[in-house]
Amino acid sequence: MDVDALTVRYGGFTALDAVSLTVAGGEVVALLGPSGCGKTTLLRTVAGFIRQASGSVRIDGAGIDDLPANRRRVGIVFQNYALFPHMSVADNVAYGLHARGEKGAHVNARVAELLEMVQLGALAKRRPAQLSGGQQQRVALARALAIEPSILLLDEPFAALDRSLRLDMQIEIKRLQRQLGLTAILVTHDQDEAMSVADRIAVMKRGRIEQLGTPVEVYDHPATPFVAGFIGTTNRLPCLAEAGGVALAAGARLALAHDQAPGSAGWLSVRPEQLMLTSEATPDAWAVTPALAVPLGALTVREVRCADGTLLRLTEPRRGAIRDPAGPIFCRLVPGAQPSLFSANEEE
Amino acid sequence: MARRRSPAEISYALVIGGLAALALVILVGPVLVVLATSFTDSRSIRFPPQGFSFRWYELLLDEVRSRPIHRAAGNTLHVAALAAGLATLGGTGAALALAGLRGRWARLADAFFMSPMVLPGLAFGLAALMYFTLLGFRPSLELLVCGHLIVVVPLVLRTVGASLSQRDPALLDASASLGASGFHTFRRVTLPLIAPGIAAGAFLAFMASVDNVPVSLFLSSARTDMLPIRMWGMMESTLDVRVAAVSGTLILVAFILMLVMERFTGLTRRMRG
Repeated sequence: MDVDALTVRYGGFTALDAVSLTVAGGEVVALLGPSGCGKTTLLRTVAGFIRQASGSVRIDGAGIDDLPANRRRVGIVFQNYALFPHMSVADNVAYGLHARGEKGAHVNARVAELLEMVQLGALAKRRPAQLSGGQQQRVALARALAIEPSILLLDEPFAALDRSLRLDMQIEIKRLQRQLGLTAILVTHDQDEAMSVADRIAVMKRGRIEQLGTPVEVYDHPATPFVAGFIGTTNRLPCLAEAGGVALAAGARLALAHDQAPGSAGWLSVRPEQLMLTSEATPDAWAVTPALAVPLGALTVREVRCADGTLLRLTEPRRGAIRDPAGPIFCRLVPGAQPSLFSANEEE
Repeated sequence: MARRRSPAEISYALVIGGLAALALVILVGPVLVVLATSFTDSRSIRFPPQGFSFRWYELLLDEVRSRPIHRAAGNTLHVAALAAGLATLGGTGAALALAGLRGRWARLADAFFMSPMVLPGLAFGLAALMYFTLLGFRPSLELLVCGHLIVVVPLVLRTVGASLSQRDPALLDASASLGASGFHTFRRVTLPLIAPGIAAGAFLAFMASVDNVPVSLFLSSARTDMLPIRMWGMMESTLDVRVAAVSGTLILVAFILMLVMERFTGLTRRMRG
């Protein structure tokens, strides 16, 4: 699927601002961002529910901009599943086949096959209201897949599920997507969801794509301060850029490849796991005082205060009870860490 | 172990229970009085009834001596069936059209369709009579159907509008994304979901038409006599006990219809899960 310079306006508000995106066959791309960033608008435009002001959408090279929603062969799993409440599970799944005039035994066979695939064969005669959230989602998935869509759109599909069920369904969807070679777009505001399901993530903000990359790229090398702040937790370390490195306001010099002009003010975006504590005073370590330590499963989350007042959060593997280190302690980057440097006047 | 109830809970239960009892007495009391009176053996309407007999019901069913009542009842059913049928079609169509619209004109149209509900019935009856006479129409059943139609359409519009507003708009998107045409969506999704609302509206419209006095008062004539008007006439002139018998019949019919409705809409509610 190719999205080319897609722009959508509601009155004077630009919901999508010339967004371009290519989704390869068999790939899952997550649209990730806060509410109002345009991710749902993009999904609904692809589905044909919203007409764009300009730009185009092509599927398998063919433009679909002039096709109404019911002729786009786009499968959608809605946020609240939107199952037809007055129909049985089997009738819900058969709906798309009936809608295009198919009848008879082969419809029943196909429905049975789909329900078997989502492990709901035994519940074919139930009404949606008699199913759990996870089961309803499986029905929604089977119903969308029944029409053999060229692309599957998932609109916050896990938002209504219990936390414990969410991971199961993420794995389930990922498994089906692999098995059937589906091309899919996942809309979510949950970064964990995007990371676990998607091959690539498009982080969106105010109708634009801020960064498009694999989950690891987006996490390890955020392209903008917004992405750094939105994906995962990050520490902001104020610093001055130097040739081949930075001077931290907290009092240390770090060697670092960057493209900022020497002498310009900026800040380092450092992940909690890129920091470590040490008792050795070296030029690339700075003095800190411990403020707080909490156990988080297998990790210890620590808060430490730098000399310039900056609070830093860092995580380290936990072995046994938490002990505050004795004597003067210092903070440094873990070996190999490549934090991103942003200019101080870049807006977040 | 029984929990002791606080004074606030007790006074709440007393007040609610008292109000419920009062409502029952006010609502059910007259119904029982009329029912009891209709089985009287005496020659006039009086409570408590004297003796017990079906003589007034027998007289009511007498084809010769109760012919005017039968004719009025026939007219009333005829008008109610037509008015309710047309109101169901028109009201459902209007509700569907209005549900798809937003903005000033839609609100204006909605208010326009609903206006007969707030307009005093007598004023509308008089206005309709003058208007139709001006246009050269003579009182007829068709005219009565027109008058009743205008008064009962809002009932259908409201009940259907309510069930439409409860319909999840995502269902329409889902249907379209599965390849269904607008008509297919209407027939397989929208219509089944609003059917209870349509049935309830049709029932209310029918009952309101049967019950209508002010419009019938102006638009009916001797040839197109309506049951409530005839009953009023009988009460005024002779205190005929058959009025109580008619009331008893109406109460029974309304009760049965209500049970049927409950069963029907209850059934669809079960179908919806």
